[in-house]
Amino acid sequence: MNEMLQAWIDACVGTPGTLGGGIRLPDGLVLSRSADESFPTERIERVLAHLAEFQPQLPAAIPAPLASTWLFEQGRIRCVVRPDGCLLGIAVRSETEAAAKLDQLTDAFLALE
Amino acid sequence: MDDDAVFLGTIADLFAAWSQDKWRIHQAGSADQALDVLKKEKIDVIVVDANMPVLDGVQFLKVLSRRHPELKKVMLTGLATEEKRSACLASGAELFIEKPRSSDGLKAVFAMLDELMTWKPREGFQGMLRKVGLQDVIQMECLGRNSCVLEISNPQTTGRLYIEEGSLIHAILGNLSGEKALQKLLSLAGGSFQLLPFESPPQRTINGPWEFLLMEAARVRDESAQAGAQEETSPEAGAPGVQSTVVETLVSSEQGEVLYEWQIQNAPARVAWLQGVTQLAAAMAAEAPLGGFDRLEIKAGNGRAVAQTRADRLVFVRTTSQTLSS
Repeated sequence: MNEMLQAWIDACVGTPGTLGGGIRLPDGLVLSRSADESFPTERIERVLAHLAEFQPQLPAAIPAPLASTWLFEQGRIRCVVRPDGCLLGIAVRSETEAAAKLDQLTDAFLALE
Repeated sequence: MDDDAVFLGTIADLFAAWSQDKWRIHQAGSADQALDVLKKEKIDVIVVDANMPVLDGVQFLKVLSRRHPELKKVMLTGLATEEKRSACLASGAELFIEKPRSSDGLKAVFAMLDELMTWKPREGFQGMLRKVGLQDVIQMECLGRNSCVLEISNPQTTGRLYIEEGSLIHAILGNLSGEKALQKLLSLAGGSFQLLPFESPPQRTINGPWEFLLMEAARVRDESAQAGAQEETSPEAGAPGVQSTVVETLVSSEQGEVLYEWQIQNAPARVAWLQGVTQLAAAMAAEAPLGGFDRLEIKAGNGRAVAQTRADRLVFVRTTSQTLSS
């Protein structure tokens, strides 16, 4: 399972414009891949930890999110949490192929078996 | 500048306290005194009482525009009329504000002045209000609960936005009207705009809080840019047949004071959450080389929520969507 997820995330970060991304499993294990030296795996893992920390803090009024996107001046971080607790976090630069494919990537992550 | 020394002293004390002494406030009881201060000090913004003896506010604005073209000028008046407002804006005022009569009104004026000090011109647009951009002007007009018509033009097209007592009520651009016209107007890459006296539009096509409308326009603009089809996109593209309804709105100061809320069940908790979003965004910005944080968008259930952090404001808006049968 983990090898399959690692292969999946490796393939994802190959899209031009991706800085890096990873999957955090419910047991805390992180599978990550960097695609840009300015965003190494240690940083990716810290971002994933922040995203995981954020999920339980969502106000009760907001239904469980399908996806959340943190938008910055030069790019965005997409976070998707599956019903089984697996969390995807991926950082992409604005106006790139990777940014345009974020919704597609979200659907693919939710459909992973 | 005001000839009412008591009003001047009260405002100066309050604004100094609210700015946490970041503002240096100079007081002048006449045009001569004000010009003297301007000669000796570097002033960012001047607030002028419209009804001064000897030299009235509009005449004084013209003097200021000539002698200090970079100075941001705000006109404060006890009795706001559309004629006076047009005259002040045409004479170089960036803002025209009615004198507040309550503590909340004073806070709104403080917030407007605070924003005005940090505003810079946006690329691509020039207008009667020289130092601020189109979106900023809309924000100022809405915050000031003003009524006006904004006419926006570029070589290809001309559109209009109608603001009545601080609410965006109508937009028109070619064959488009309502939110689609507003979004298209705000996505124009350049052009000019001018502020006209308010006149009733033929119909009301826009409802909902202006904060949400501007954020929604920003989202649509981002998504259009993302698709690389800002100009080529069909005006009808987007979500035909889908109606969005705002179900919660909250605006707070950076310090956590609730400035506006609508249908938020536990406003202090939501403000705390927004402050948490800001802190988390800062932590992530330190890790990922993506620049400063703009906003968080959450897609949830049949709607979405947006949390936006500004220099002095936190904004939260949640909507639900409903597909309309044709």
